[in-house]
Amino acid sequence: MTLLQTLNEKAKQIAVRSPWIYRINAGSCNGCDVECATTALIPRYDVERLGCQYCGSPRHADIVLITGPLTARIKDDVLRVFAEVPDPKVTVAVGVCPISGGIFRESYAVHAPVDQYLPVDVNVPGCPPRPQAIIEGIAQAIAIWRERI
Amino acid sequence: MNFLKIFVRNLVNGPSTVSFPFGPAWTPARMRGRIEFKLPSCTGCRACEQVCAPGAIRFDKTPEGLRFMMWHNTCVFCGLCEFYCPTDAIHQSDDWHMAHAVDQKFSMAIRELIPYTNCSACGMKTLASAPNPVGINPPYTPEEIEQHRQLCPACRKKALAERGNPS
Repeated sequence: MTLLQTLNEKAKQIAVRSPWIYRINAGSCNGCDVECATTALIPRYDVERLGCQYCGSPRHADIVLITGPLTARIKDDVLRVFAEVPDPKVTVAVGVCPISGGIFRESYAVHAPVDQYLPVDVNVPGCPPRPQAIIEGIAQAIAIWRERI
Repeated sequence: MNFLKIFVRNLVNGPSTVSFPFGPAWTPARMRGRIEFKLPSCTGCRACEQVCAPGAIRFDKTPEGLRFMMWHNTCVFCGLCEFYCPTDAIHQSDDWHMAHAVDQKFSMAIRELIPYTNCSACGMKTLASAPNPVGINPPYTPEEIEQHRQLCPACRKKALAERGNPS
């Protein structure tokens, strides 16, 4: 085994411990965003126990949380930001809006479901989902991400 | 000296972080979670379909009967269907473990069928009435209720009119 391969293996072993999370708001009502913030910031829920951390740049992200029904105005921006996230990435749809459109379903102004445009991996239904449900979805996403890396 | 109080309190109570997903999570008693449907109580009045804001509940007429469909991935957990259901056929449980991989999204639904039967008097095709509608107590004997259940709405109306006042 060459040095490069050894380093590569070691990097993978280290990387699976700490996936970074990036949030994309695709026209959400802010309910799911508040729950996502609660999941990360309040010690009662504390998603960082799973090794996750919210990051500010899509280029640093491993797991993408999408909220909102993908409104017509924001669709191109969401697709552009999502394309900047490096592979391998895992996408989690938080709330019923990105999954099916929820209360905005069949509206002319939204392009839900999001999985027509992006490869979604985990769905977390709820309006909004409670923080524990988001943690459950992120835990499933981490399991998928460990297989992909 | 305030920090000493907090220090002792934290020593006694332990960390405030809930251990989920490594342990159980507390669920409030009145948590509005996954919808449950009891087919034996449903009378097919379609009130839930009428009040469902995101359109998660749908009734379809099929050759075999009236099909009830409910999509968990569209439901916003408002609880209106449970509130308006006259026979308690829809119940909102406190189950919130609904995160799933995307390949299971089509299994996140309730599909039930209220079948057609034939009226025992005129032989017309009619919806089978609910065997166990909770919260409804007609003033008839159980034998009479069982007899009326076999009839179509028109024949039932006739039978009730001929019977006269309930005892």
